[in-house]
Amino acid sequence: MRNFRTPSWTAAAVALLLATPVPAQSPAPTPVPAQPSAAAPAAPARPPAGTPPAAAPAAPARPPAGTPPAAAPAAPARPPAGTPPAATAPAPAATGDAAQPAAKVDPKTFEDGLKDYFDGKQEQAARKLYAFIESTPPTDENFAWAQYFLARCFIDLSLRHAGAVYLAKVAHERSNPQVLPKTLEALKVLTLVPHDEILIDEQIFGSLDLGFLPDSVSDYANYQQGLVDLRVGNERWANTHFVKLDEGGVEASRAKFALLVTRLKNAKDVDQQTIDDFLELSKDEKLTMEARNEARLAVARLRYEKKDYEGALKAYDLVQLPALDPGRATLYLEEAWTRYNLGQLRATIGLLTTLDAPSFRDEFLPDKYILRALVYRDLCQYLPAKRAAKELTRRFSDSLESIREREDLTQDPRLRRAAASHGATKRSARYLDSLTVEGELLGRYAGGFGDRLFKHLTKVYDLAHAEAQRIYDQRLHESVRDEADKLLRAAEQVRLMEYEVGLKLYERVKKGAKLAAQEPPLTLTSAQIGFKFDGEYWNDELRSYRVSIPSRCIEEGGL
Amino acid sequence: MKRTILLLVCLGPALAYAQGEELENPGTVLAVQDRTYRMSSELVLGIGVAPLDAFYKGLTGQVAYVYHFSDSFAWQVGRGLLSYNIKTGLRNQLETQFGVSPTAFPQLNWMVGSDVMWTPIYGKTSWLNKSVGHFEVFGLLGASIINERLAADVASGTGATVFRPAIHLGLGARVFTTKSVSFRLDFSNDFVIFKGLESNIILVQLSLALNFGGTE
Repeated sequence: MRNFRTPSWTAAAVALLLATPVPAQSPAPTPVPAQPSAAAPAAPARPPAGTPPAAAPAAPARPPAGTPPAAAPAAPARPPAGTPPAATAPAPAATGDAAQPAAKVDPKTFEDGLKDYFDGKQEQAARKLYAFIESTPPTDENFAWAQYFLARCFIDLSLRHAGAVYLAKVAHERSNPQVLPKTLEALKVLTLVPHDEILIDEQIFGSLDLGFLPDSVSDYANYQQGLVDLRVGNERWANTHFVKLDEGGVEASRAKFALLVTRLKNAKDVDQQTIDDFLELSKDEKLTMEARNEARLAVARLRYEKKDYEGALKAYDLVQLPALDPGRATLYLEEAWTRYNLGQLRATIGLLTTLDAPSFRDEFLPDKYILRALVYRDLCQYLPAKRAAKELTRRFSDSLESIREREDLTQDPRLRRAAASHGATKRSARYLDSLTVEGELLGRYAGGFGDRLFKHLTKVYDLAHAEAQRIYDQRLHESVRDEADKLLRAAEQVRLMEYEVGLKLYERVKKGAKLAAQEPPLTLTSAQIGFKFDGEYWNDELRSYRVSIPSRCIEEGGL
Repeated sequence: MKRTILLLVCLGPALAYAQGEELENPGTVLAVQDRTYRMSSELVLGIGVAPLDAFYKGLTGQVAYVYHFSDSFAWQVGRGLLSYNIKTGLRNQLETQFGVSPTAFPQLNWMVGSDVMWTPIYGKTSWLNKSVGHFEVFGLLGASIINERLAADVASGTGATVFRPAIHLGLGARVFTTKSVSFRLDFSNDFVIFKGLESNIILVQLSLALNFGGTE
């Protein structure tokens, strides 16, 4: 009975890959520190390039022709069009000082704020820059610079979401073309960490007018806009963006990857060319190791689907892990299925042993128990086979009970964890977590920021958190159902397995039957070393377990 | 007869338990790995001490070459050791207060020798749960020719020297840092033989070992 499910990974992998933005190669998880530049704001010490020097040393830079003077009557900062309410809307419920109109501030406040920023006093700088923004019209020449440096202050203080909000304002308003490139670069760096995908990826990079962008950002924006087109299923439009990418750049490689995944999703049959393309991409040094590994996994999965198990195994072997990194449970499970299909039962059990490691204890892998039971059954070790099959229902009994009772599955810890462990749900969970951490961090700066800024940021974070929670709940609700389906299918197969093994257990042995020939014992070459496993897992051994297990099968031919 | 039956009754449950365990958890698991570090031709540069003698302490420098036939068996083709000796307070006291002749204090001058090396233990260890280190433990057995200074003041370098044969017995451990570089700590004893067992020379050596010839 070999009709047990073998994983059909292609569809799942495609969905996962499409939903997962491939990380950029730049490893920096935090935005680059702010540097004063030639195009710095119109402060006396750092006049912007191309602007005539300020007439008076103490005065802010001369406003460009056609713009109102900096000392124009103060107006509350206008909320930019298109920014989410979390970022902009003045809170109607605000009380106390925060509800009062902002007091006029000396235009020198901007310079003081900048000075504080470059002196490393981010809290004071943020308070001054915010006061300046509140009391200055958006048409002021320094307005955009103030927003930019306010964002940098927030980012330096690890309040990344607040930073992203102000950078997004600059990108939306585009009131100062000199600020925009730096703003977009800072936003690009923020995409490396959990971030508001709607705000940054869709509303900024996904909708930018690409004509004026600097080279450092245009490739990324083109890639993002192509990705948006791909997600809605329009490859032709996506290609109009992708062809503009620099061939030697990271984004070009990432675009190729996204295109291949999309084609795979739409293809009815996988051709060798697709596999070769993925293989070529897996050697592209411009991609991160994670992205290259994804390409290798794609090759392995496609070969598996084509029943080229040897080829799949070679592709799995190509997957590179950092030293002592335990790797991913799905990698081991897929490799185990491949080896099982190659008849390498002992190596399969070895990989299943790996999956029992503490690193993977919380992984949601119902297939693991089925595969273990299958291997034991093939070795005619019926008692262990039955036990392995029962283990699934024992381990997931609470979740199965919840499913049967039609309870709210998002409240089941196992299903919830499984659902939040990959894809869009994982990203939204990480973003939600980061907002929670930043929200807590915000409390530390209450004194330094002053009442107005603190209340404003509290509101920004509250709104962002509520929205992130809503999106997370929505995604969780969808993905938890998939996990429940997976569990139910596995439980069904386990019942079949138990029935089959039960029959085998009480099968009559024919007279004169002999045990089948045993596999030769494991021998080590001179270059190998064997460490007996006694339940202690070492990360460097996770791919090395080999099991010696006798077959108890009876040879055919008894009387 | 009764004893036999009693023994069988006692052993029966244990055997049944073992069989049941084997039925439920069949097989054994082995982590099979390629050796990360394999030695080929090894050049050893070491420093150490000869701490045993009560009348002098030797500071030693040693150079050796080892050829590894396999991961567990090697030949330390040659080793040469030079000792710089420092008189102890006891000897000073004996010479100045009691007039004991310097010839009564033979000292290690230098030695050469050759040994076979057996490495039965290769293992790994965890450093603060952050990294994995590899090591091996080996034994040495060989022969030495020892040059000893018999007389006069060590500092002036005068006096007669004699050659003595010795049996070299050692135990050492090696910690690998890269495929080419490892560090050895050797404890050895040379049984100096002249008309029977004349003396022991204990050496403690810390060495830098450079591995040549590929370890892949």
